[in-house]
Amino acid sequence: MAMTTLSSPVLALTDITKRFGDVRANQRVTWTLDAGRIYALLGENGAGKSTLMSILAGRYQPDGGEIHLRGSPVRFLSPAQALASGIGMVYQRFMLVEPLTVAENILLRRGPIRGKRTRDIRQIRELAERYGLLVNPLAPVRTLTMGERQRVEILKLLYRQAEILIFDEPTAVLTHAEIDSLFDVFRQLKEEGKTVVFITHKLEEVMAVADEIAVMRRGRMVSRVAAAQVRSHHDLARMMVGREVILSVQKPPVAIGEAVLTAMGLSGPAGADRLKFQDVDFEVRRGEIFTITGVAGNGQEQLVAALAGLAPMAAGTVSFRNRAYTAARWRRRTGDGLAYIPEDRDRTGSIDAFTLVENFMLTRLDAFGGALWVRRRRAARATAAAVRDFSIQGGGIRGLAAHLSGGNRQKLILARELSRRPDLLIAEQPTQGLDVRATEEVWQALLRQRASAAVLLVTGDLKEALTLSDRIAVMFRGRILDIVSAREAADIDRIKLLMAGLGKRE
Amino acid sequence: MIEDLAFIGQIAVKSSIAVLLATLGEIVAERSGILNLGVEGMMLTGALCAAAAGIATGNPILAVAAGTLAGGLLALVHGFFAVTLRVNQVLSGLALTLLGMGVTSFLGRPLIGIAPGVRLRAVPIPGLADIPVIGDIFFRQSPLAYLAYVLVPLCWYWIFHTGTGLKIRAVGEDAAAVDAAGIDVFRIRYLCTFAGGLGAGLAGAYLSLSYTPGWKESMTGGQGWVAIAMVIFATWNPLRAVVGAFLFGGLTALQFYFQAVGVELVPAYVLKMLPYLLTIAVMILVNVGPGRRFGGPAALGVPFSREG
Repeated sequence: MAMTTLSSPVLALTDITKRFGDVRANQRVTWTLDAGRIYALLGENGAGKSTLMSILAGRYQPDGGEIHLRGSPVRFLSPAQALASGIGMVYQRFMLVEPLTVAENILLRRGPIRGKRTRDIRQIRELAERYGLLVNPLAPVRTLTMGERQRVEILKLLYRQAEILIFDEPTAVLTHAEIDSLFDVFRQLKEEGKTVVFITHKLEEVMAVADEIAVMRRGRMVSRVAAAQVRSHHDLARMMVGREVILSVQKPPVAIGEAVLTAMGLSGPAGADRLKFQDVDFEVRRGEIFTITGVAGNGQEQLVAALAGLAPMAAGTVSFRNRAYTAARWRRRTGDGLAYIPEDRDRTGSIDAFTLVENFMLTRLDAFGGALWVRRRRAARATAAAVRDFSIQGGGIRGLAAHLSGGNRQKLILARELSRRPDLLIAEQPTQGLDVRATEEVWQALLRQRASAAVLLVTGDLKEALTLSDRIAVMFRGRILDIVSAREAADIDRIKLLMAGLGKRE
Repeated sequence: MIEDLAFIGQIAVKSSIAVLLATLGEIVAERSGILNLGVEGMMLTGALCAAAAGIATGNPILAVAAGTLAGGLLALVHGFFAVTLRVNQVLSGLALTLLGMGVTSFLGRPLIGIAPGVRLRAVPIPGLADIPVIGDIFFRQSPLAYLAYVLVPLCWYWIFHTGTGLKIRAVGEDAAAVDAAGIDVFRIRYLCTFAGGLGAGLAGAYLSLSYTPGWKESMTGGQGWVAIAMVIFATWNPLRAVVGAFLFGGLTALQFYFQAVGVELVPAYVLKMLPYLLTIAVMILVNVGPGRRFGGPAALGVPFSREG
């Protein structure tokens, strides 16, 4: 072992290996991290990034390999041990106890000690101000936005004097403004000599803030480059998937047809203290992708739940395939024609413990079975066709959905919903958390669907909205502020203003 | 009239203590996310061990300690299944109840009909006991009732105003978050499961040493189940558990009262049913009321494991 000098790495991973059953999540991964640098860890879904980071943070135990912290070997049996050594992680799913306050979450380990409370809270406020992590220490976590929760997570680590901070897809739940301020925090941490590692799928983020880029593919570390040496997004995309990917999507023109869905004066949800969406009017026509976008929490979630028939509406009428429904009758509507791809593909969209075939039958039981029988063979054939057409990888049609990666699971759901030949396809955040290749495949499928159906896309990803949409509606505080066609740069600026609640046309 | 009221009140308190103690214990366990449906079994075991230790030693402290500890140890069995092996907590709890019922009915056979070794009689508290009506109702009770009076605020303070209590509530809400914060989830859950068992064991000891001294098969008569319902009624708050337990005790007392005065307004069997009907009514009310604020621990019954 070399002598520990100032220039030696703060953390060195050597030949880290981790298996989950038959799956080799990490294979002999070697990586070194220096103090005062920001690292981006890239890779497709299921490449082993989260596993590697969880090993660093003490959540998982490696099956082989060594970790050296400042030159001496370490082995973390729990997150507590890693944190005590200065390594902390902000997980994709925030590790916050929702009913407790911000301060209680930060002080959880020690527990609040009476009398010292005011001092602790002052300390938290000071820390928050120093890093620009503005959040009220006395607010219950359940009242906070995703961005604020993330700040609490960072404060938790800083309060415990973490020197190496790991972030698993930190930007996935953030708005544009929040992403910018998160990156400011990254830069300040770097200036103070701390090490920042973040996992991401978004290439532009990598270019914006990282000093060094590491790419993982199928459990292995395949390349490490200084950010300055990367010339284009294409370089990075190629490193990630190992082939040239097209980032601009072909969008063949399709004739716009009649209105399939017309929403008039929708408000809801019914029975809530406060309406989450109000007086929403729009129509979606056959042959177009109509997008509803906005900063998360402006009523899109509730609107789409109501349109999908999952939650009751308070008022308004919906006209679908030339039939008008009142708010109450829309929810009780039966019959086909509408397919829905929910945001939560793991819980709402599919069932872990079911095989691919069983999952494929979930929304198509009318086609594959009756009260007393199930047409298993027919379902298996249809599933096999979907697996082939959408190149769904993992376990075969008799494998469990639980073993599919995010992208493959989304493709299965997409294939299932499209096989219903809907007149209207509602897709909610269809590429959230997917890698470049899977995103592209989902996009292509949505664009193809325009030929026979109307597509209602609900997304917070502006790039996705601009790439796919024919028209974009921007929601702010429960209302559609405007519907923009988004063909020119001026439109894009307008959409950004609308998302911030500005620029409403009078 | 006043005497009747004092009489009913005194019996009501007396009849509520076992449910109260068991409820307190179960609140602690459930706050940490451990659903233990074995309360009935732990109470029976506590009652039997307390009675047996009383007969063997004649020492009231040893008898109470034996009953309490027996409940705690049985709870650790549930802890092993629920925390370490991560099996379905409902099944494990039900098994515990069945085990407790079977074992006590078998091992308790020789004790049936034997004079109790320890009788914890009502001890009037000097001064307080002389307050009209109130004194009769609250301060002419068993020492274990006084212990329950003290445990209620202690439990409440522990859960809501100490660092340990914060950890307990946090584990019950989101074990993974607590683990990530560097706290030993397993230790807290074992501790709370054990504490829950102590409560049930103490409740059992109260029944066999104080309420109706001596061992009788199935002497808890479903009070363990009432306690589980009362946890929900109390919305996992020890202070509110007092109200639930007193309601239960009150209905039981009414039944005794009508028997004593010899009037049968309603058949005695209907009165005996009332506490359980109340429990069912409470469950319905808590869950369908307009301001439906449940307040249960989010991770109740959810096992924790770090990998996977």
